[in-house]
Amino acid sequence: MATTTLSRRSPAISPALLAWLAFIGLAGLIGLVSVYEVLSKGLEVTNLTDSVPWGLWITIDLSSIALGAGAFTLSAVVYLFGLKRFQPIVRLAVFVGFIGYSAALLTLVMDIGRPDRFWHPWAYWNVHSVLWEITWCITIYLAILLIEFAPVVAELRLFDRYPRIRRIAHQVHKAAPVLAVAGLLISLLHQSSLGATYGILRSRPIWFKPSMPIMFVISAIAVGPAVAMAAAHTIEWVTGRKTVPHDILRTIARFSGLGLLLYAYIKLWDLAAVSYYGRTPASDSALFLLRAETPYNFGFWVGEMFLGILVPVVFFLMSRFNRRPFYLVMGALAATAGILFNRWNVTVSGLVVPVTYSPGVLNQLQPQPYYPNLVEWGVAVGVLAFALLLLTLGVRYLPLFDHPDAPAGG
Amino acid sequence: MTQESRPTKKKQKVKVELTRRDFLTLAATAAGSVVAAQALTTGPLSPFAALKQSQITGEAHGVSHGDYHWGMVIDLDRCIGCEYCLRACNATNDVNAAEPWNIVVPNTTSTGRRFFFSRPCLHCQHAPCVEVCPVRATYVREDGVVVMDYDRCIGCRYCEVACPYDARRFNWQARADSNPYVPTWGLPEVERRPRGVVEKCTFCIQRIDYGLEKNLTPGEDYEATPACVNICPVGARIFGNLADPTSRVSQVIAGNPTLRLRQELGTDPSVYYIPPKEGL
Repeated sequence: MATTTLSRRSPAISPALLAWLAFIGLAGLIGLVSVYEVLSKGLEVTNLTDSVPWGLWITIDLSSIALGAGAFTLSAVVYLFGLKRFQPIVRLAVFVGFIGYSAALLTLVMDIGRPDRFWHPWAYWNVHSVLWEITWCITIYLAILLIEFAPVVAELRLFDRYPRIRRIAHQVHKAAPVLAVAGLLISLLHQSSLGATYGILRSRPIWFKPSMPIMFVISAIAVGPAVAMAAAHTIEWVTGRKTVPHDILRTIARFSGLGLLLYAYIKLWDLAAVSYYGRTPASDSALFLLRAETPYNFGFWVGEMFLGILVPVVFFLMSRFNRRPFYLVMGALAATAGILFNRWNVTVSGLVVPVTYSPGVLNQLQPQPYYPNLVEWGVAVGVLAFALLLLTLGVRYLPLFDHPDAPAGG
Repeated sequence: MTQESRPTKKKQKVKVELTRRDFLTLAATAAGSVVAAQALTTGPLSPFAALKQSQITGEAHGVSHGDYHWGMVIDLDRCIGCEYCLRACNATNDVNAAEPWNIVVPNTTSTGRRFFFSRPCLHCQHAPCVEVCPVRATYVREDGVVVMDYDRCIGCRYCEVACPYDARRFNWQARADSNPYVPTWGLPEVERRPRGVVEKCTFCIQRIDYGLEKNLTPGEDYEATPACVNICPVGARIFGNLADPTSRVSQVIAGNPTLRLRQELGTDPSVYYIPPKEGL
């Protein structure tokens, strides 16, 4: 990461910042080219097929929404549970959440076959559909994040000329506790529903289990705040300015560590009770195929369990590590990788094992391995560029860490 | 006219006072009108939306579907695996040859005897694909047929993931292929589906709806019966009204052992299979 002297008061562009922006620009260009390719030729340019219709992009959606969960968790902690001590990180957490959710929506629009009909879930309701509920929750929650964040944007110098807008934005901020309640409810709902998207599918023995939503929501609550914590540390390194008091960040890391321990417990219980003792012949043979044909086991034990849970738990909870910001950021990176591994494993593992039934296609279909192709990676790179650009602009121009109302709270 | 026009008026005409506030008001009004118009024409508030729905369900033709439940029996002992059903279906519904709606695969019984298995969409009455669609682009009609609204589908492919029988196909590209089954196996009766939507077998609703309008009986009259049933050279597929106990399809089900696919999932399919006499 480039070390620059970003400062709101001296908006000089250093060479390092220029290089960083050039990197983002290049990534963005790759993304735009890929997006054009997809929009002009359709989804046939991807490696997706009728047997594996969801892939890398869905993984990105699920992951970035989970990684944005710090916004609702920390908002609830401050405005609902009254732990005002954590006020200094709320703005950053909400900002990171906003980036995550908007990145997810961008990817989602790329992933549907008819991006021009993205608004249909609002016009044509199917209240029985998990995906309908998720679409509603995500868009409503994005609006909540925008309102929560409006006062910060209104503090831009641009709005010196429009005191009315600034006043309205600060009025809106008074609703922060209400927004926190709504955000908490809606977030708990859709973070778990993302797991239910898979968990309710009776036709897919690997997915069909009640533990799916629980694992999704707990992993999001555990890792989301850690991402905001790591962002604060990283911004401090890059800009050289104080962001959030370190004792707060350390407490957040410990919270994440405990959350990950709970997640590990649920995951092992799921492995033992749901996938082993409670297995059906169908899920048994599907998992056997999966382990034989794909690196699912490696992804599960190394990616999810070791990298995603064990490493961050050690770094976040052992005091010889969690005193040093370096280990906290490394722990958050490992946890993020774990989330990515998990969402990939869940999405792709349920699809590569084909749907079989007898009489019919039992034992006739081979697992369909799926690997994203260049265009899919290109869109992913573009979404990453979008996220990094928002983050850079936000750090440079928004008062993410100035708190005129910090001690008093919302 | 030029004489009557006063110079002051001319001056007023030129001078357009548009403040930022006015501009924003106008822009907001315009945007609001577009949204309102959209909501009233295609949205849930729209009277036209209901009209469209009734067109799809066939009620616009003056036919009530409540008395019908269309279903099929496939006799696995009779099927010879000729794939005529697949070809006629591909031609009649102009299906992409690479992604057929019907499948035909060889199977063996536990004693090793060969038989052939074919599968259209099973038209489940508790269809997992219908439950998961976020925009209700797919639904069970009153007459039991599971259909798609290709104008509403957003192409999320959740239905494809949810279907326990792999009966759905996504249009990954804009269709430019020439259909190899036309005209030998039939002529297209419906238009090609656009890029980016999911499509599926419809039990040839265009024939059912047309037939009922002409007082024909789907399953008995040729014009009103699905293409795959008509073409079958050995009569392995029988189509008809499951709600009518005197229909041929109901009597065949009553007089033979039948099974339905993956019944443990509770999907309640409308397609019944007569297994080979010696058992599976």
